[in-house]
Amino acid sequence: MYDLTLYTQILWTSLANSSYQVLFTIAFALGLKVLGVWNFAQPALMSLSFYCMYAAIDSFGVPPLVAMSVALIFTAAVAYAIEALAFSALRNRNSGPMGFFIFTIVASQFVIYVLTLIFTAEPRFLLGNMTSALHIVFGVYVTTWDITAMVTACILVAALYGFLHYTRPGQFMIAVADNAELAETYGISKNHYYALTMVIAAVLINTAIFLFGSKIAFYPELSLHMMLFAVAATIIGGIGNVFGAGVAAIIIVIMQQMSVLFIGSRWQPLFVFVILFATIVFFPKGVRFRTS
Amino acid sequence: MTTRREFLKTVLAAPALTSAHWSPFASSAFAAEKEPFSYGVVLPLTGAAAPFGTDQVKAHMWAVEEINTAGGANGRKLNPIVLDSQAKPDVGVAAVTRLASVDKVPMFVTAFSAVVAAVAPIANRNKILELSVGANSPRISKLGEYVYTTYPLADVDVTLLAKYAYEKLGARRGACIFVNDESGIYGAEVFRDAFKKLGGDIGAFESYEANATDYTGAVLKVRAANPQVVHLHGNASDTPIALGQMRQLGIAVPVTTNTAGYNPELIQKIGKAADGLIVATLAPGPKESAAVAKYVERWQREEKRIPNNMPNTQYVHDSAYLVKALVEEVDKAGKPFTGENMREALLKIRSFKLPLTETVTIEDDHTVKKPVYLIGVKDAKYTEMGLYE
Repeated sequence: MYDLTLYTQILWTSLANSSYQVLFTIAFALGLKVLGVWNFAQPALMSLSFYCMYAAIDSFGVPPLVAMSVALIFTAAVAYAIEALAFSALRNRNSGPMGFFIFTIVASQFVIYVLTLIFTAEPRFLLGNMTSALHIVFGVYVTTWDITAMVTACILVAALYGFLHYTRPGQFMIAVADNAELAETYGISKNHYYALTMVIAAVLINTAIFLFGSKIAFYPELSLHMMLFAVAATIIGGIGNVFGAGVAAIIIVIMQQMSVLFIGSRWQPLFVFVILFATIVFFPKGVRFRTS
Repeated sequence: MTTRREFLKTVLAAPALTSAHWSPFASSAFAAEKEPFSYGVVLPLTGAAAPFGTDQVKAHMWAVEEINTAGGANGRKLNPIVLDSQAKPDVGVAAVTRLASVDKVPMFVTAFSAVVAAVAPIANRNKILELSVGANSPRISKLGEYVYTTYPLADVDVTLLAKYAYEKLGARRGACIFVNDESGIYGAEVFRDAFKKLGGDIGAFESYEANATDYTGAVLKVRAANPQVVHLHGNASDTPIALGQMRQLGIAVPVTTNTAGYNPELIQKIGKAADGLIVATLAPGPKESAAVAKYVERWQREEKRIPNNMPNTQYVHDSAYLVKALVEEVDKAGKPFTGENMREALLKIRSFKLPLTETVTIEDDHTVKKPVYLIGVKDAKYTEMGLYE
């Protein structure tokens, strides 16, 4: 019943679908690494980004890429505002992780509630047509969207890697992540790099939501469900290991899609919860492989 | 053309003007000699199913307007109290509880299988006649003595779709993909059982969650079964998404579906990928009925489009005429408008001649039997395939 073509199809589709998940996860893991905040306000940014693009395309007839650019500016501005107005105030008050957690959750719920009032809970697509050109490669169905999404994700991840490891601002950002107070003694402004981190996360989120919305329908509350995936991947990848979280995201998507070979699809949504639960209980510091 | 947002504004702004509900009677100029007849209309005005619910309400209000303009039901104006169900059981329960305890209506019409089932205990407990006018779970016929349907249940159209797939398409290996809710589960089960009974085999029976929008897992499993035909049993909002994802993952075989597939959005969103879809509808189309042709013309004239899930809107439209017939019957008997008397009138009349859905006969087992019309999609256009029996 199952042949090599099917396995290849599942693997290919998993890799294509993991493209936006990787970007969401890296955005989340980056915030956690540099700011030290479990940023549950990310669903708010995801939803705002989507509906900004949607309104631009649907109401004003703006071309998709222009709409994406407008949404990028808007999402980055909101992300910056969250850091400058909320996170920094919480930090100044010496709020603990619970304070940040409550703020970010409430911010997300508030934004989602408002967006639901404005746009309703009806699932919406960004583009007029949800299908893209289909190519058959050795029996595997490959869409133009698959290729675009994977290439875009690869470029963004490589750019982030290059930025963090080969540029001075990136190295300063890592220095702030490792020890913000020590970094400040060397003249590195931690507030500046906290804000920059949020803006970079916004770029990743905006791109990911564009990829998602050009293939799959979106409604405000969906961002909360998608957030759980990023949390699970971040924990599995090892807290503080931004690119490890990205790899974990790919592995989870592949495992989740491959699971249809063994279990009914109705159980698939449970998969992420099981992984999240198992990771928290058995691998609270992430899955690490020992080397001799 | 009225946009959905404008329509919602009208409906939601109405409470301030009309004592907490949408009331065409209250806003009209005529003074009726008799008390108007108030009843509930519980349909989704917001949420994922809003594009369908708002079109259904519009169709119902057109019918009410026609009836009231022509003098009402035995001189009594119809006064529908329209409440939002969001197609969600909990919201539907809140709406019907209000109808029972605040508005004290003797009957209400509603749709969507999950809502119809959830509100049934309230209808039975309070002895209010519940008319399901757009839900197809076979369970609906067993929900209690005050729950009736004017809409044929899945065992009518889906059984015929299985027969069509087996006999006309020559398929022997099938698969089902369905939304994991009241309507999807029972509808897919009906197809599976009917197809197997004919001698076919169902290689995959996969569901997706109602609040999900990515069905890749279920679609891959269906593809693995290598079916010759797929039965898709979704709701109107998720059917285009599921079909689009099936086509993008290489499932090119014919896909049968219930009336949820008769949805202009489907064509708009997936274009030629919709080709090969076979939709069973339970109401005549413009070719079969002059009244339906006129109805479609009105939609085109006023809204510049055909309604979402048109056959369903025809049933909801005609439910106003059914209410009219019940009111006239109870009035003629000189009885008060209670749920018991409305039910008694329903069972006494039994057979209703309605403008857009033609004759509807209420059976003893709380079901209705109707002919099934098939509609295919070819070159991204709906094509009437005619009656199938």
